[in-house]
Amino acid sequence: MSAVLTISRAAPLSTIQDAGRFGMLRHGISASGAMDAGAFRLAGALAGVQSDGAIEFTAAGLDIEMSKGRCVAGMAGGGFKAAHNGTSLAWPGRVELKAGDRLSITPGDWGNYGYLRFDRNFDLPVVMGGLSTSTRAMIGGLEGRALKAGDVLALAGVGSPLKDSVIEPRQYDGPIRVIWGLHADMFTQSLRQRFLHATFAIARQMDRMGVRLSDPSGVFAAAKILSLVSDAVVPGDIQIMGDGTPVVLMRDHQPTGGYPRIATIASVDLDRFAQLRPGAPVAFQSINVDHAHLLLRSGQP
Amino acid sequence: MAGPAPLPMLPPPTLLPLGDAALLIRFATSLTDLANRTAIGCAQALARDPVPGVVEVVPNLVSVLLRYDPRIVALNTLMGEVRLRLFGLSFDAAASPAAAWTIPTRFGGGAGPDLEEVAAALGLTAEAFVAAHNGTTLRVLATGFAPGFVYCGFHSEALVLPRRNVVRRSVPRGSVLFAAGQTAITATEIPTGWHVIGHTDFANFDMAALPPTTLAPGDQLIFEALA
Repeated sequence: MSAVLTISRAAPLSTIQDAGRFGMLRHGISASGAMDAGAFRLAGALAGVQSDGAIEFTAAGLDIEMSKGRCVAGMAGGGFKAAHNGTSLAWPGRVELKAGDRLSITPGDWGNYGYLRFDRNFDLPVVMGGLSTSTRAMIGGLEGRALKAGDVLALAGVGSPLKDSVIEPRQYDGPIRVIWGLHADMFTQSLRQRFLHATFAIARQMDRMGVRLSDPSGVFAAAKILSLVSDAVVPGDIQIMGDGTPVVLMRDHQPTGGYPRIATIASVDLDRFAQLRPGAPVAFQSINVDHAHLLLRSGQP
Repeated sequence: MAGPAPLPMLPPPTLLPLGDAALLIRFATSLTDLANRTAIGCAQALARDPVPGVVEVVPNLVSVLLRYDPRIVALNTLMGEVRLRLFGLSFDAAASPAAAWTIPTRFGGGAGPDLEEVAAALGLTAEAFVAAHNGTTLRVLATGFAPGFVYCGFHSEALVLPRRNVVRRSVPRGSVLFAAGQTAITATEIPTGWHVIGHTDFANFDMAALPPTTLAPGDQLIFEALA
C-alpha cells in the first residue's frame, strides 16, 4: 500500500538526500548526499528498514502531514525536538505515522541538519543512480530543488533489509582533524603552524556547497594566493579564497577548483563539522592518512 | 597519415593524498599539452587495469584522481600498486582511438556577445578570429567545474587571451567560451568569467542518459560556424 505525505513547512534548503551519487565526477558531477552521513544511517536504522533516501532538513526543522496510508519514520541528526500530533517524542527516535497524523520537528540546541527516513522508498525518479538533490546542478530529489511547503511526496514499495547497525551519537568534541592538503606546500611552515594554533569560527555563509570560516586572528590575511591549474576537489577540502577567506568545501562541492587548499578534513570528522552552527569556534589538528584510516576502521571518535 | 609524435617521458608523477579516501596522481603543476595527454592516457590505463580498492578514476587537466575505499586498501599499498602500473610507461591519450566531433556554433551577436571584443583584443576582425578559432582541431582536455562542462585546447599562442575582469552571473547551457588559449562549452547554466563567443545546440549533458555526458577527455573537436 502506498503512502503519501505533504510538507506543511520546510526549513530553507531542506532537500532529499541519499548516501551520495558516487562515480559521476568524470562527468563533472559531485556526489552530494547527506551532510551528516552518520545521522542519515542512524535515521535509517531507527526506521528499521534500509530505504534509499531521506528528507534532510536544516536548523529550522520540518512539519509534515500524512495524507494517505501509513509508514514508520526514523529521525536523527542534530539536537532537534519532535512532536507527533502534539505529543513529544524522543530524539533521535522512531515514529509510526498514519493518515491524518502530523509530525513537527522544531529547532533544538545544536546542529544544522536532521534526517527523516522512512521504512519505504520515495516514489521519485532515480537520476544517474541516485536520489540526492544538488540544487547547484539542479538534479535529483524533487525536481532538483529544495523542498517547500505544499510539496507532496509519495512513498512506494519497501526498503531493503537493514544493513547498518544503530550508531551511537558522537561524543567527541576535540579539534577537527585534518590531513595536509593538495597545496599545503604552497603555504609557509610558519603559516601552517598558525593554521593549527588559531581558532576559527563558522561564519553565517554556509550551505551544502561550502562553509565559510571567519579568521579573527588573520592567519590568512596576508597569504599570497596564486592562480592554480584547476584540479580535483574532495569534500572537506579547506580552500583559501583570493581575499584570504577560508572556505570548507562540502558535499555539493564543485568537482574541480582553482583555489589553493591547505588541508582536508578527515572523513571521520566531516559529519561533526557539518553540524557546527554559525559562531561555533573551530580548531584544527593535523593527522596523517594512516591515522585517519585507523579512526575510520575503529568506528571510535 | 603519420601518427602523432611519441610522447617524451615526463618526470615521475607526484602522488598526493587528497583527504583519506582519495589519491591524486599529478603530472604537472601547470597546464601543458604533454601533462594533459599523459593524465588522460594514465586514467585510461588505470581503468583498463584497475587497482583493488579503487572505486573511481577521474582524469583532470593535469592529474588523475583515484577515489578508494580505505576499508579495503591502505594508502601505502595503493601508492605501491599505482607506481607499479606507471613505471616505465608512456601514457598517450592519442594512442587510444578518440571520437571526433563537429560542434556547429553560432558565433557573435546575441549568441556570442564578447566576440567583437575578443577579436579586437587579438588584432583580428571577427571573421578572421572565427576562421582562426575553427581552423584548429581541439582536444577535450577535461570535464570539470560543472556537469558536462568541457575544457578544449589548445589554440595557438596568437589566440591566447586572459579571462574577463567581470564574472557574468549566468550564461545559458551551450555557451561557447574562450579564454587562456582554450575553448569551453557549458552544458548547464553557470556563472563564468570566460568570454562568451558563441552558442551551440550540442548538449553534452543529459541527466536521463547513462553515461550522462557525450564528450570524453581525449576526444577531437572541430567548431563549425553556422550562418
